[in-house]
Amino acid sequence: MNELQNILEESVSRLFAERVDRAFLARCEDGEWPAELWSLASEQGLTHVLASEAAGGMNAGWAEAFIVVRACGRYAVPLPVPEQLLALWLVERAGISAPSGLIALLPTVVDAAATGHYTLDVPRVPWGRAAQFFVGVTSDQQIALFDTQHASVTPAQNLAREPRDTVHLHAASPVALGACAVNPHAIRWLGALLRAGQIAGAAAACLELSVKYTSDRVQFGRPLSQFQAIQNHLAEIAGAMASVDTMARAAFLALDARGLASLGDDSASFEIAAAKCRASDAVELLTRLSHQVHGAIGFTYEYDLQFLTRRLWSWRAEFGTSGEWGEHLGRAATAIGGDGLWAQVTR
Amino acid sequence: MLNLESLRFPRYELPASLDALRQEVRAFLDTALTRYSPLVRSNTWDGFDPDFSRELGARGWLGMSLPKTYGGHGRSALERYVIVEETLAAGAPVGFHWIADRQSGPVVARYGTQAQKEKIIPGIAAGEICFCIGMSEPNSGSDLASVRTRADRVADGWLVNGTKIWTTNAHRADYMIALLRTDSSADSKHRGLSQFLIDLKATPGITARPIKDLAGRGHFNEVSFQDARLPADALLGQEGEGWKQVIAELAFERSGPERYLSCFVLLSRLVDALGPQASPAALAKVGAEVAWAVTLRNMSLSVAGMLNEGRDPGLQASVVKDLGCQFEQRLPGLAQELVGLEPMLADNGNDYQQVLGNLMLLAPSFSLRGGTLEILRGIIARGLGVR
Repeated sequence: MNELQNILEESVSRLFAERVDRAFLARCEDGEWPAELWSLASEQGLTHVLASEAAGGMNAGWAEAFIVVRACGRYAVPLPVPEQLLALWLVERAGISAPSGLIALLPTVVDAAATGHYTLDVPRVPWGRAAQFFVGVTSDQQIALFDTQHASVTPAQNLAREPRDTVHLHAASPVALGACAVNPHAIRWLGALLRAGQIAGAAAACLELSVKYTSDRVQFGRPLSQFQAIQNHLAEIAGAMASVDTMARAAFLALDARGLASLGDDSASFEIAAAKCRASDAVELLTRLSHQVHGAIGFTYEYDLQFLTRRLWSWRAEFGTSGEWGEHLGRAATAIGGDGLWAQVTR
Repeated sequence: MLNLESLRFPRYELPASLDALRQEVRAFLDTALTRYSPLVRSNTWDGFDPDFSRELGARGWLGMSLPKTYGGHGRSALERYVIVEETLAAGAPVGFHWIADRQSGPVVARYGTQAQKEKIIPGIAAGEICFCIGMSEPNSGSDLASVRTRADRVADGWLVNGTKIWTTNAHRADYMIALLRTDSSADSKHRGLSQFLIDLKATPGITARPIKDLAGRGHFNEVSFQDARLPADALLGQEGEGWKQVIAELAFERSGPERYLSCFVLLSRLVDALGPQASPAALAKVGAEVAWAVTLRNMSLSVAGMLNEGRDPGLQASVVKDLGCQFEQRLPGLAQELVGLEPMLADNGNDYQQVLGNLMLLAPSFSLRGGTLEILRGIIARGLGVR
């Protein structure tokens, strides 16, 4: 890692480690909007990693975004920092000057009716209820930004009680619209990338908790971690975590190198699909074995593990399951053919 | 306290200057491998063809990172990495030179005397010398330090007695690098061990008895030493330092791309057998393994990068081998399930069935050779600070 990345990793970890604890998470799950942490995260530029300096950002790349996104997973941060970072990137790429306030992502392709207005129900919008704006991509590759004037929200949640609301647009007109050379499904692709990064972070936290708990807890006269059966579980968690982390980072970096302009060979789509497929696939082992080594305490609300595992169970489905991304990869691989597969893996 | 940094696989990208080498190797393999059947190509590092190894040697693609002074090519470990992953992924028969190129050559280069290096390294680089490794014994498998085969000092050299086992290629190798006990009175089983460079063709008293594997193939052996006399200069490295040397050697053995690439040919054939019209469920399953292949490649490359930078990625290498052998062991079952064909022996069924049958019969060894899965998990647990 370079110096900027080291500083970023340290500052983001410090901020979240100090602020995000059990009581804080419980309050957020009960519906509190953590305005203070949101302001701090914005002030430190965490939501603006990808934004240009002119737009008040760090002008950094996806490599740096990975550090922030992974930290959001590791500390189970109950805020749409990853989503905001992506929203600001999309808006700026379309030449729209970023408004201040929370911009929620509309995960499905948005298209106008014949009248030119947008009337849509968009489910599973992260933090839709807290948003001042919504951003979506149209099938003709435009970025559309809406305010809340012609929008209403029906609250819903994921397993971790993170807001995943249905946003209703009622004959809305975008407050800004700009062409942008991205795939119409860019939010699904990039959302999958964000979740892969968050899963990598939560996986690391599961491993840390599991190692710590089994080292502290004594049964039969010795720490649980001294039992080979437990060590075997821990080694498996470590392997799964490392695989998710490595592939997620590779996908973020591929985006820096190749972008997501199209879904052809020249884009990072192969790595993104591999990252989300691997990450979602790993969740079963990560959650099962982390809970197994924790025994009953890990099954309680008063212990931290569940803040991570409930997120993992939701994130593995959000923006596409392992099966969906696996199918995409399987289709890509069979189209390339067996003799070309290795060249694709090593490109 | 767990240090997550110790489990990181930093992104590593091969220098672009290696692209030309990769293309050159691919072009060569495209032609050179047409003479092998799909079944033979599924043997990868168990495939054995001295002619093929000599061809690679003639192109300067063996002993690549060994010193030029002694007949190596003085090129980087990364260049060797490219050769190795390309030959494995394509299913080239690399078995004749495999052990020599991967570990015996580097061990001789590191610990050998000038005379040993001059004698051995040119032949390794030419693909003309086949090596085997004398580590395991009948009562000494994963607990390697408990070896009992002795080398006793005599007037003009050493006298060796005992038995090695699971010695791949001992019946056809030119040399063995053996781990032998030179001091039985040492206070720890890790002391009193030494490595020897043994000329198998010129040493009376050594008998290799092939042991058939579960498929009836003869590739590994029981090797008995009965008053086998070695010259004094057969000692490799320092007397009594054998354990330290062997640990370093095992690092070569555990860190390469072969830890996830012995079955890649099967994944390629599976992809072709399915085709784009396969059911979404089948595509999803094969796609999940494609995701693993890309992931493991990134991890393996990261290990190569760390080695190149002089770091010790022992923990990461164990993780790659653990995940890699699970990947390889899943593939035969999946390739059968998704295509719905019975695995077959040679001369039965079609190419796909033969490849499937071959790898199904080979797969149990993936998590045994070069350190069992259980040993690797122990190394990982130690890396996590719980052992």
